[in-house]
Amino acid sequence: MKIDRRCFLSLAVGAGAGIALSPLPWKLTDDLSIWSQNWPWTPVPKRGEAKTVNSVCTLCPGGCGISVRKIDERAVKIEGMKTHPVNQGGICALGLSGLQLLYGPTRVKGPLKRVGERGKGQWMPISWDEAIREVTDKLTGIRKAGRPQSVAWISGAASNTLNQMLDRFSQAYGTPNGMRLPTLEDAYGLSVSLMNGGNARIGFDFEHAGYVLSLGAGLLDGWGSPVRMFKANTLWKTAGVKLVHVEPRLSRTAAKADTWISVNPGTEAALALAMAHVILKESLYKADFVESYTEKLMDGFRNIVLADFAPEAVAKVTGVDAATITMLAREFAKAKRPIAVCGRGQGTLPGSLDLFFATHALNALVGNINQPGGVWLVREELPSWPDVQPDSVAKAGLGYPRLDGIQTPARISLPNRFIQAVASGKDYPVEALLVIESNPLYTLNDTAMVRQAFSKIPFIVSFSSFMDDTAAWSDLILPNPVYLERTDDVVGVSGFPYPTIALSQPIVKPQCNTRPVGDVLLQIAKGLGDSVAAALAWKDFNACLEASLGERFKSLRKSVVWVDKAYKPAAWDEVFAAERFSFLPNGIAADAAFKPVGIPGDAGGFPLILMAYDTMRLSNGYIGNPPFLTKILEDTVLKQTDGLIEINPKTAKSLGFDEGDRAQIETPKGKAFVKVHLDDGILPGVAAMPRGLGHEAYDAYLAGKGINVNNLMASVNDPVSGFEAAWGIRAKLSKA
Amino acid sequence: MKNEHSHQTTKKFGMVINLDLCTGCGSCMVACMAENNVPFKPDETDKLKSITWMRVYRLTNGKPFPETDVCYLPRPCQHCEGHDGHSPCVSVCPATATDYDSLTGIVSQIYTRCFGCRYCMAACPYHARYFNWYDPVWPDGMEKYLNPNVSPRMRGVVEKCSFCYHRYQAAKDRAYVEGQRDIAEEDYQTACTQACPAGAITFGDLNNPDHAVYKLKQDPRAFRLLERLGTNTKVYYISSKDWVRKAGDNYLPDERPKK
Amino acid sequence: MIDAALIPIGVKRCSFGKFLLGLAAVGAVLLWGVYAMLLCWFKGLNQTNMNDYYGFALWIWADLAVIALGGGAFFSGFLKYLTGKDELKNIINYAVLIGFICYSSALLILAIDVGQPLRSWFIFWHANVHSMLTEVAFCLSCYFGVLTIEFIPLILENRQLNKISFFHHLAHNMHEIMAVFAATGAFLSFFHQGSLGGVSGVLFGRPFAYREGLFIWPWTFFLFTWSAAAYGPCFTLMITKITELISGKKLVKDNVIELLAKISGWMMATYIVAKIIDTIYWATVTAPSKGFLVSDFYTNNAFYGFWILIAEILLGGVVPALILITPAGRKNPTARNTAIVLAVIGVCINRWVMVLQTMAAPVMTFDKWALYYPSWQEVATTVLPVAYGAILIMICYRYLPIFPQEPELNPID
Ligand SMILES: Nc1nc2c(c(=O)[nH]1)N[C@H]1C(S)=C(S)[C@@H](COP(=O)(O)OP(=O)(O)OC[C@H]3O[C@@H](n4cnc5c(=O)[nH]c(N)nc54)[C@H](O)[C@@H]3O)O[C@H]1N2
Ligand SMILES: Nc1nc2c(c(=O)[nH]1)N[C@H]1C(S)=C(S)[C@@H](COP(=O)(O)OP(=O)(O)OC[C@H]3O[C@@H](n4cnc5c(=O)[nH]c(N)nc54)[C@H](O)[C@@H]3O)O[C@H]1N2
Ligand code: SF4
Ligand code: SF4
Ligand code: SF4
Ligand code: SF4
Ligand code: SF4
Repeated sequence: MKIDRRCFLSLAVGAGAGIALSPLPWKLTDDLSIWSQNWPWTPVPKRGEAKTVNSVCTLCPGGCGISVRKIDERAVKIEGMKTHPVNQGGICALGLSGLQLLYGPTRVKGPLKRVGERGKGQWMPISWDEAIREVTDKLTGIRKAGRPQSVAWISGAASNTLNQMLDRFSQAYGTPNGMRLPTLEDAYGLSVSLMNGGNARIGFDFEHAGYVLSLGAGLLDGWGSPVRMFKANTLWKTAGVKLVHVEPRLSRTAAKADTWISVNPGTEAALALAMAHVILKESLYKADFVESYTEKLMDGFRNIVLADFAPEAVAKVTGVDAATITMLAREFAKAKRPIAVCGRGQGTLPGSLDLFFATHALNALVGNINQPGGVWLVREELPSWPDVQPDSVAKAGLGYPRLDGIQTPARISLPNRFIQAVASGKDYPVEALLVIESNPLYTLNDTAMVRQAFSKIPFIVSFSSFMDDTAAWSDLILPNPVYLERTDDVVGVSGFPYPTIALSQPIVKPQCNTRPVGDVLLQIAKGLGDSVAAALAWKDFNACLEASLGERFKSLRKSVVWVDKAYKPAAWDEVFAAERFSFLPNGIAADAAFKPVGIPGDAGGFPLILMAYDTMRLSNGYIGNPPFLTKILEDTVLKQTDGLIEINPKTAKSLGFDEGDRAQIETPKGKAFVKVHLDDGILPGVAAMPRGLGHEAYDAYLAGKGINVNNLMASVNDPVSGFEAAWGIRAKLSKA
Repeated sequence: MKNEHSHQTTKKFGMVINLDLCTGCGSCMVACMAENNVPFKPDETDKLKSITWMRVYRLTNGKPFPETDVCYLPRPCQHCEGHDGHSPCVSVCPATATDYDSLTGIVSQIYTRCFGCRYCMAACPYHARYFNWYDPVWPDGMEKYLNPNVSPRMRGVVEKCSFCYHRYQAAKDRAYVEGQRDIAEEDYQTACTQACPAGAITFGDLNNPDHAVYKLKQDPRAFRLLERLGTNTKVYYISSKDWVRKAGDNYLPDERPKK
Repeated sequence: MIDAALIPIGVKRCSFGKFLLGLAAVGAVLLWGVYAMLLCWFKGLNQTNMNDYYGFALWIWADLAVIALGGGAFFSGFLKYLTGKDELKNIINYAVLIGFICYSSALLILAIDVGQPLRSWFIFWHANVHSMLTEVAFCLSCYFGVLTIEFIPLILENRQLNKISFFHHLAHNMHEIMAVFAATGAFLSFFHQGSLGGVSGVLFGRPFAYREGLFIWPWTFFLFTWSAAAYGPCFTLMITKITELISGKKLVKDNVIELLAKISGWMMATYIVAKIIDTIYWATVTAPSKGFLVSDFYTNNAFYGFWILIAEILLGGVVPALILITPAGRKNPTARNTAIVLAVIGVCINRWVMVLQTMAAPVMTFDKWALYYPSWQEVATTVLPVAYGAILIMICYRYLPIFPQEPELNPID
């Protein structure tokens, strides 16, 4: 048969029509859309049995209870524990992101040994036996050589027992150089013991306060126990309790305060003392308390305050006019149950004591100590461990002075001064450093100096769960499980007025080849033998926890938290019978106690003041920001990898900057490229950047974003306590 | 105990958000992302391409230092009822991939039905709708935390706040198993409401006089966003500040808000 | 010439080599567009600069513009077949071809624009009758079918195809009933042009675009139909002029051009009066009732000022309308061509504004203007239809008797 053109065409048309009428194209169209609805690369979460497990969050000192929803063995959601007295079901953004830390890409999957140059990121996986042997051999060698004092540790651990165990290890091994990272709690603890006497944790009965004066405390920016503070603020708003916040910048706390006092940076203590001036001058203080339970008011404190802190004079320093100061003082003194509270931002750095003294003096003037709705002294009573029996090597080592200059036995640590000492190499060298749940290479001021100090330490062991900035710069990493995989005790909750003991416990099986620091430390102690092994003879960390929590260990496994809600602070007669409240801190010269700490840098070359601020949307300590938290950061803080610096439009105008302009920020400590963000909510002449950005380590979701403001900050020692006291640094902003 | 409102079947779920209490902490945003399998990218600083079903806006009064004031305003989908359920977005979706549920007042979104024309996004004045410009990618291992009650969305479709609809379904299931006729107020609460540390968000049935939102919405300081457009939203806001209430809608220079 | 047998009788065409060279040049642009299109399909719409504020952007504008400009086909058809303007038979072929290009391009752009092209048929299967886009989809597809039917007889006019008696008769018969299709096309076009206007006009959440109207249709519905009818012929005339310039020949007689220009001019004049009334009503009643001053839509941003309103209405509407309705204006080639170009720009600005300025203007008081510039992938995919259109025109012009007056106007000696 001959197929002509016409025949061919009709065949083609027929075939086309046939196909169109057949189910084929329709089926194909349908299948394609079904395929597009089930793309194999879009994950489908597995179903399974659902249950909820309670624990305690240790990502910050907040001590919130958490309820973790699980599907089979997977943890799928962290929520606030409804029955937990601290957070009552609420939870912060960081706590909510915890599973991104657990399952995240920054986890150190198993023990690692550095093979390349330090900080170059070349690692060799090793077994736990090898890892522990490495450390044990090193520590044995140093101890054999009679230099146990040259081993140091830095701990930011939340666990009370772990920190106690580290102290015990130091005692038995023979080193005075154990450093806990101090926070505002330590500064509060020290100032309270210098004014009240005794040792106690400070608590605030905010829920019953009638007036709250915050001297720079970021009450709604992560201060204390963040979720609890949000709840307290809600109570204040509903009950009409006034919140006054003093800060140069319109932080979230300032924004929610009924009155925002925009003060010149670093002059909060002066403002408090000027208020004291008015209170004393107008005899607004609480006479029954002041007369019977305090001392050094009329003879010491009064003289200083009346002489040097008249509102008119202080107005010049603080930028707050005298009338406002007087009004504030009267309001505060006349309010029912007023509380004055301080600490800069979240209080992750302790700060200078003058502010704590001044704030606490205000509370004493209005007699609101150990009263309902006041400032309380709280203690959690725990069984104590038997004393350590140091051998002769240990005794010799302990005889050395601490590198941070604190007298032993030390109640506080000064890692800032420790770093200065190591960097300068003046005293004796540090041969080994153990870093536990902390990231000092990132979190301490003047990171260049920290790096310099670290470069002089030949053996750095990190116990971090994450490849953080310090872990990346260590020689050996012995990864700790994260808080959702291990057991820890949390004693006390920052700023919470009731004695609290909680147990954070494993929600899921360890996701990586990790071991709890406590267990590893016990294994190392065993390897070291002698008095060290004897002092740390527990079979594992849980046994240790049992030793420190006693009977509670078992009950806490079920209840998660124990709170003494019936707790009443000791009456005045009881606390101030033996030792009266002292308006001038004991052992501190009157003129030194209230002397403000200056700012590094000269105003000529550096006309601006750079301040670091804290925000709930940036985790700025050992825990790096998880992706969700970085996702909710404003684009006025971070834009791509550029950090933004906040300045007042007036400042911008005088320097010729517009929103989004590139700039170089320079301080005596360093410089960095930033973008400019204009905001009316900041004092002209001040520039602000958040803590928590600019990590060199971690993952694609955090590394290299913004700049670490700590790089630009100098370390300033508080003249009274030695605490890190820098509240800012002089800076210069120029076109880039 | 006999429930007086048991015959009431038409619910109108909604929120009342107290802006005096909101601190802008962002818990609600993260709670929502964690609950609803919202993906994230290494760079989320382009806020015009960042999926946040709940977004907290920062409003300012526009005054110079130190009279400056700011207010944080959380914005979930407003679940607009419009006129008779003709929400701005629902009425325009050509494929009926988003719908107004007259039984609950919830504006749904069916990801597998949506073909990504984005007309609904153009229609929503609140920018509550987000497009999946990218394939969602969870770093290796992180997909373990995904919630099986909410399906992750594929590239090329629109998503938005669902008032945690899966929680409503779960609550109904529980109520059914327990032999209750109706679900109680506390049985169905959204993830953001629960998480908010300030207790700023209240969620419930706006039609039910027993629910907290019923009374709160009648607060004289309560307002809704862009009421003048006729979107008829189900998210109310409360603020004691005049400038904040005024910022809730557009007014001509000589006009003032009614409250 | 290798393809001499295919070239219509009585006309002269350039050498085949030159033709191929031309095809290759435009083809390169086409390939660039195809590459961008494939990127969008396989990697997703992250290849564009669209974002959650710009759900609709360059492509949707291109779509609306191209459909408005393609309106020359339905309106010329309407005039020729239904109102008996028989002279227009001399340009109707070209109008149909241009319409076909515009509509096929629009469909292609839509297929790239949606996030899930494989599911785009859901628009038909799960149709929501309330949605203007549903109306658009249905009418657009139907009208594209009609245009195809109108285009087929033209193809069959090819010298070789026409030798096949089946095709010859088919073409003949189709010509006979073309009035029916033209009527259907005009009806469908009335709706889809209108529904495209409705797309933004119904957005009651977007006071910049929202308009009151008649029954379910906002005023923009009618304005779009009217403007497409008014401006579409101008585009046909513009492309005709460009083709004449490139081919170096007169292809359509002036009386035909002037007739179409005159009709277009009058349509435009009436349209622009309606548009001005609409704008005044919107500015003084609609927008203020939502709390907006009209200046809110034209200030506080880096791009959209009142200039765009003036450019659209005055320069792109009033001026060309005045030129075209005056006999002196439309008879003067320079004035006429200027008017035509201004008109085309004017209608494009209108479509731009209705899509992009709607997206740009903030509605919540605490929201900000959002400006956008397209990515190269968007530009390339937008250029793709232009290249495709050029190629189709080149082929059709070479092989089909598009311009009935060409042999008469350009006798071969
Ligand atoms: N306890 C309890 N059980 C019930 C019911 C009840 O009320 N209570 N109702 C019963 C009834 S009536 C029904 S119909 C069933 C419904 O039961 P299911 O079919 O399980 O319904 P859903 O939970 O609504 O949807 C399941 C998942 O499908 C996803 N999804 C949504 N659209 C699509 C789609 O187009 N394609 C794909 N692949 N996934 C999609 C959703 O996001 C969700 O994750 O449950 C029955 N079981
Ligand atoms: N947004 C959204 N809407 C949906 C769905 C969705 O997934 N999302 N799912 C859809 C689907 S699949 C379905 S089936 C429907 C279900 O929608 P409905 O049929 O409305 O389902 P319910 O509200 O669960 O049940 C209706 C009522 O029946 C009562 N009831 C229970 N048992 C009995 C009985 O024995 N006798 C009588 N007389 N009453 C009884 C219940 O108390 C309840 O008040 O919802 C649809 N609507
Ligand atoms: S406030 Fe602190 S303890 Fe509470 S959830 Fe957040 S990170 Fe955890
Ligand atoms: S969680 Fe609550 S307080 Fe925090 S931003 Fe959201 S609504 Fe505001
Ligand atoms: S807020 Fe937007 S997405 Fe939500 S219902 Fe209203 S229009 Fe739709
Ligand atoms: S993007 Fe999806 S939900 Fe939105 S209108 Fe288009 S099809 Fe409907
Ligand atoms: S209601 Fe649910 S879906 Fe909506 S914002 Fe809150 S958490 Fe997200």
